[in-house]
Amino acid sequence: MTVKSSVLLGSAALGLLIALIGFSALLFAEPYHQRIVFIFMVNLIIVLGLQVFMGNCDITHFGHIGFMGIAAYAVAVLATPIAIKKTALATAPFGLSGIELPLFFAVPGAIAITLIVAFFVGLVMVRQTGVPATIATLAFLVVVHVVLLNWVDLTRGPRAFYGIPIKASLSTATAIAVVGVLIARMFRDSRWGVQLRASSEDAAAAAAVGVRMQRLRFAAWMLSALFLSVAGVLFALFVGTISPKSFYFELTFLTLAMLIIGGMHSVTGAVVGAIVVALGLEVTRFVENGPDIAGFELPQMFGLTGFYLGAVIVFGMAFRSEGIVGPQEIEEWWGSRQQGKQSDAGSSEAPNP
Amino acid sequence: MDYFLQQALNALSLGGEYALLALGLAIVFSVMGLVNFAHGELITVGGYAMFLAVLIFGVKDPLLILPVGVLAAIFFAVLLERVAFRPVRAAPPTTGMLMAFGISIILQNSALIFVGTRPKAVPTAEWLMLDVNIGSLRMPVVQLLEAGVTIGAITLLVVFMRNTTIGIAMRAAAKDFSTVRLMGIRADRVVRTAFAISGLLAGLAAVFIMARRGAVDPFMGFTPVLKAFVAAVVGGFGSLPGAVIGGFALGIAEVTLQATLPSSVAGFRDAFIFSAIAVLLLFRPQGILGERPDFGEKT
Repeated sequence: MTVKSSVLLGSAALGLLIALIGFSALLFAEPYHQRIVFIFMVNLIIVLGLQVFMGNCDITHFGHIGFMGIAAYAVAVLATPIAIKKTALATAPFGLSGIELPLFFAVPGAIAITLIVAFFVGLVMVRQTGVPATIATLAFLVVVHVVLLNWVDLTRGPRAFYGIPIKASLSTATAIAVVGVLIARMFRDSRWGVQLRASSEDAAAAAAVGVRMQRLRFAAWMLSALFLSVAGVLFALFVGTISPKSFYFELTFLTLAMLIIGGMHSVTGAVVGAIVVALGLEVTRFVENGPDIAGFELPQMFGLTGFYLGAVIVFGMAFRSEGIVGPQEIEEWWGSRQQGKQSDAGSSEAPNP
Repeated sequence: MDYFLQQALNALSLGGEYALLALGLAIVFSVMGLVNFAHGELITVGGYAMFLAVLIFGVKDPLLILPVGVLAAIFFAVLLERVAFRPVRAAPPTTGMLMAFGISIILQNSALIFVGTRPKAVPTAEWLMLDVNIGSLRMPVVQLLEAGVTIGAITLLVVFMRNTTIGIAMRAAAKDFSTVRLMGIRADRVVRTAFAISGLLAGLAAVFIMARRGAVDPFMGFTPVLKAFVAAVVGGFGSLPGAVIGGFALGIAEVTLQATLPSSVAGFRDAFIFSAIAVLLLFRPQGILGERPDFGEKT
């Protein structure tokens, strides 16, 4: 497969930005802030995975966090030391309470389990279009949550699953995020990605030139699930304690808002959105806890972060529905600006039929 | 036999609730192509209006707070249309859907910030809590009323959609909105009526949900509307008869599983139902009554 130089250039620019954030945190930040940056990297990987599916297929995806939950619990069950399982997970089915895999096997195992689930869900998903497809992804998220919550023998149910070996580091997460950008870009600008985007704009025309939409959608679905499973594994191996509510609507809203506000049709949009929303989120969290500002004690306001995410989405949709960045990638900004200067008319977009 | 009849009534009232909500979603979707994720918040708003009516205006008679809930839901639906959804009416469906989704998050969290995280109690009329005994059958009044009101509302809606100008215009708008406008009917009026009806149906559902729960909390609208969405998809998204059939089908499925599943796996009920629906959709992606869109048509 040949990779276009423009893709490499754009990925390099975004990758540099991410690496800069990661390494400056590693060098200068305190552990607490490093933790925030780690979570940001995980969220970024989630948003990239979401972009792979949503941006190329134009189907809103509410179920992505379900895959993350499956992967996180899978790696937790596989890798948690037997000593801890004896007290925490004594009644696990399939003899899992007596198993402790090294990460070298547990991580690929967890990813494989997630991808198998994604495979079967994907078979149903690709046959749906438009709104029913979106509702189906939402139903998937609920199913995963219900199972995590009720399969107490395997997941400890609503109680926290603790004792997961803490092995992930900020540098790993940063590296994966950088690679993730490259993969998402390569997919978007590959033959498949272009065909997929074409088919989401006009299914009939795309089919007429031989694009197999369902197959391509399936590919995007699986690649997206791969991103999410990696994010889930990273998350579990960093925080060490997980519970079903870590993988439910809160994270779904947050990552969706990130993608939408940045612009879901480009990888650049995903990265920019993740950064912008994360910055705003930290400010909102600060205010939510009722800090003292210049002598005034602000009241605690539970729900302010949720309010902020909702407002981000609403204003994004009302005033800039293509997101901050829009459908163009970072290297195309530069290119289109140059073009705009050369041709005064500047109508680089195709006229609407 | 008695047990069966009682479960049948359960299914009918639960299915009725889903049908009311699914109908509201389907009406708005069929007319303006909006997937109203904020529909659940109409229930919540209805609930809070009832709570405030008691708290602020000291309405004592529980019978009087029922219409307050319904009217608040209608008013709020029309308000949302004007403030939030009119700006994105011409936008692609995804934009409108995400807009509604954002509105829903904002409303939930506003309730958290301004009213509080805890559920607020709302008194229920005593006669609603009574049982009617027929022979050895014990039937709660709430359920009888819910089943009755649902069927009544659906019948009225059918009459309305068939016999009034605006009703016919709404059905026509589902096929081709531009032609409706060429016939000299105001688009705003059609859309506003659609929202008002969806608010009315959500308000009716809200009254019964409140009677059963006895309290209102910021996230109470979410689960019923998620179920209603699923019901609408099962029936065929955008089809009004489909929404009703899907609603009742889902209600019957839930009650059947509830009654037959052993308690050790009862928690998985929704997972079973959604998986069964996934299999159904594998064979009939357009739902029970949905029409397969012409290939390439925007959905």
